[in-house]
Amino acid sequence: MAPPSDGQMRPGRQLAVLSGLLVLLYVMVMFVGTSGMGWAERFAPRLGLDLVGGQRLTLEAQPLPNGQPPNAKQMAEARDIIHQRVDARGVAEAEIVVEGDRNIVISRAGKGQNLGADIGEAAQLRFRKVLNVTDGNDTSATPVPTPSASASATPKPATTPPARPQATSSPGAAAPAPAAPGTASPAPAAPSAAAARPGQKPMPELLADAKRKVGPAAWAAAEALKTPDTGKNAALKPFASLTEEEVSALPFMIQFNVPQVTCEKLDKRRQGSISGENVRAVACEGSQKYLLDIAKVLGGDVATASPQVAQTGQRVVSLEFTDEGADKWSKLTSEAYNNSGPEETKCPQQVLGNDGHCLVAVVLDNKIISAPEIQGVLGEQSQIDGNFTAESAGELASQLRYGALPVTFEVPDAQTISASLGSEHLKAGLLAAGIGMLLVIIYSFFYYRLLGGVIFLSLVLSGLLIFGALVVLGREIQFTLTLAGIAGFIVSLGVAADSFVIYFERLKDEIRDGRSPRSAVPRAWARARRTIISANAITIMAAVVLYLVSVGTVKGFAFALGLATVLDLVVVFLFRHPIMTMFARTKAFLSPRVSGLGRVLQRDDAVKEA
Amino acid sequence: MSGIATRLYKGDAGLNIVGRRNLWFGIAGGAILVAILSFVLSGFHLGIEFAGGNQFTVPARAGSIEQVEQAFKDNGAVTTTPQKVGGDVYQVKTAALSVDEANQLQRQIEAKFGLASDEVSTSAVSPAWGEQVTESAVLGLVIFIAVVAVYLVLRFEWRMAVAAIASLVLDLILTAGVYSMTGFEVTPSTVIGFLTILGFALYDVVVVFDKIQENTRGITASGTQTYAEAANLAVNQTLMRSINTGLVALLPVGGLLFIGAGLMKAGTLKDLSLVLFVGMAFAVISSIFFATPILVALKAQEPRIKAHAQRVLSRRAAIARGEEVPGSRRARTPAKTAASAATEAPAGPPAAPPKPGTRPASKNRRPGGGKRR
Repeated sequence: MAPPSDGQMRPGRQLAVLSGLLVLLYVMVMFVGTSGMGWAERFAPRLGLDLVGGQRLTLEAQPLPNGQPPNAKQMAEARDIIHQRVDARGVAEAEIVVEGDRNIVISRAGKGQNLGADIGEAAQLRFRKVLNVTDGNDTSATPVPTPSASASATPKPATTPPARPQATSSPGAAAPAPAAPGTASPAPAAPSAAAARPGQKPMPELLADAKRKVGPAAWAAAEALKTPDTGKNAALKPFASLTEEEVSALPFMIQFNVPQVTCEKLDKRRQGSISGENVRAVACEGSQKYLLDIAKVLGGDVATASPQVAQTGQRVVSLEFTDEGADKWSKLTSEAYNNSGPEETKCPQQVLGNDGHCLVAVVLDNKIISAPEIQGVLGEQSQIDGNFTAESAGELASQLRYGALPVTFEVPDAQTISASLGSEHLKAGLLAAGIGMLLVIIYSFFYYRLLGGVIFLSLVLSGLLIFGALVVLGREIQFTLTLAGIAGFIVSLGVAADSFVIYFERLKDEIRDGRSPRSAVPRAWARARRTIISANAITIMAAVVLYLVSVGTVKGFAFALGLATVLDLVVVFLFRHPIMTMFARTKAFLSPRVSGLGRVLQRDDAVKEA
Repeated sequence: MSGIATRLYKGDAGLNIVGRRNLWFGIAGGAILVAILSFVLSGFHLGIEFAGGNQFTVPARAGSIEQVEQAFKDNGAVTTTPQKVGGDVYQVKTAALSVDEANQLQRQIEAKFGLASDEVSTSAVSPAWGEQVTESAVLGLVIFIAVVAVYLVLRFEWRMAVAAIASLVLDLILTAGVYSMTGFEVTPSTVIGFLTILGFALYDVVVVFDKIQENTRGITASGTQTYAEAANLAVNQTLMRSINTGLVALLPVGGLLFIGAGLMKAGTLKDLSLVLFVGMAFAVISSIFFATPILVALKAQEPRIKAHAQRVLSRRAAIARGEEVPGSRRARTPAKTAASAATEAPAGPPAAPPKPGTRPASKNRRPGGGKRR
């Protein structure tokens, strides 16, 4: 029961707090994080792609080979890699989030290229010796490969691992000879691992397409090349017209030798197009195009990788191999360190690093993430060093770990929504909200007469608060309003009206018990407050639990419901109650026409008189 | 006395709800039985999210339904007959396709009808998705019930928690029963809406229980009312509020349903609003007719309450026999026996005027306020 002092509250103060809140919120709407925005943009909440059109893919992580689901850290790494893949395809402004314990959701609003399911394929980490290097820009006038500078000329830190030669070196270990390397035999660059997924054109067909597109003359010219062309051979021009898909099907020597096959295109090749271990490949680091040997060490051979600070204070990435992997790694590093092995797999002079040893490229998917010079015959424990920052060391380590992580994703839910369907959804949602609000307001005017006006005003206030919160949350925490979210807000109208009903029915009780409105208001409030808080707490709990465990659009719904319920509490405390307190001091309060309350009194009086 | 509406409005409808609890339990039991039979016999009509499949939305200006269907068939898709849904679009469902196949089919259809790219919307869902949604829904349900049970035990007491959750479970079973019997499509949105009912079902119950708690505070010290009567009174007092809030909560959902089912004919809005509408309607009914009777039945097992009820009843009997003076112990409703909302007698209105739903003997009330005739 309320202490009487509760009744002596100052409604003015609460209303002032509320006004302050509103002003603050709208100042945030207008001026926080709005640099460079137009006025209309500042008032635009972030709309989900079901309202504006776009694509959403849900990638569900499949259990790892050991039967365990990937843990949160692995999911975060997977997210980063997928982010890079999405960026690599030139899909701008896609939002990629980990949802729940096994989903990664990619949403792209607006028009644009559709992402395919291959975005969720396992990362392919390969260690390949660098056999040759050339410029990956088409128009470049400096065709001569810059040899030892290659590592340091790249945007990534030059990486020259001073190795710990503690591994028992077995130099000259017989490396399996690759398929005849330089010969221009059109062996498909993409082997079985990159076999087309359903719906994708198979590689041989793509290759045929590419051949047809460039014409026999250009094809013959390309096949005849023994070294990278310098851009002088006009016959190769048609190669510039090939798509990224078609580029993935080209034989690797053509990919390497034809300058029209740029790094830009090579980076966007089909997922997995160079994952074949026993085939040479071409990949880029920045704008340097590398010809790479077969992959002698694979992602699965890496046990773990972590960024570390060496004794010298330098940041390094330490690399640990599995038992089997360490063996392969020693062989590969020995071969690279001594530049041994069969003649055709030796690194030519111009690709040796600063200290005269071969480079080994670390290839993730279609790109080289690092190409350190090998400083010794390395074993289980190795490290890559270079001019890393804390961030770049962390990124490389996470890429290595992810490459070692055989996690694959399925796509259980994929939606593309056209812009017109989106605006239709938005219209329908707003219409439903309008109708819902109208019905509630009509009902409250009918039942509570003029006091319905208080409900009306508080719904308007709630609306203002919700809208402001949507705009601010959209900017600050990327909260996106979806159709399900609109439904959540509509449902919350009921909650908002409900808390008024509780209060008001309580007030009727008190007045019926013979209190004057002035004393009934604080008493009714004290009791109704308790009920309103308990009841809203239940709704908030439901929203929070839903938000935490749910997948897909449910989250938006739960967030909207929870947000609206919390804001309802704000409105109840800072608006309805003070307004009622003020209202109770007027005479009109007791008039049946005005409040709908009077009927209670009237009836009682009539009964008394009878 | 005035009509039922006014009595409802004033909060003394005087309905004997608790006293007829065996009737409500019977009805509830029967309904549960029917629902479970329906689960077993007819199951649920699951949407593509559970079966797996693709759905394409094509603007209606592309051509006639037959043309659109033919275009899909020409491109090798196994389809159902397209349906025209709200907003001048056709919806075509096909067998499950991979993302790439779906993208390709989308482009082919757009090319065929000369539509701009991205004008055809696609939705591909594998059975794994429906499973995941259901799995997380079940997890959510379990967590929610556990959290709420703790909250209710702390806020009220364990018997109220049990009664509230029993009524919640009843709502869920009956709502699922309606879905099973009518064959409404169950989609992930339905599952979401289903979870949202949880909040609402308890919302209503909490308000009623709050009143019961207030009415029965220190009840064993008073000799005039049994727990059952006080609870019944609370239900009557909150009846108008229950109906009001039920209506007021159903109104916006009704608006949503109108738009979702009437205009859009399909999709998230319809699925959500339909399940909410059905579930919330049950929630209002069960908070009145089921939650409190269950609570009273549980309470009747408590020795303290049991003894108190007997004491009150025997005293009332004594008064009726004239052995005890009614006024001696602040008893205000002397002739309540027959009309008692206690356990056995239904509230047959005898000559004795006060109804079971009369107001409690609160210390602060105006003497005889509203009670005199």
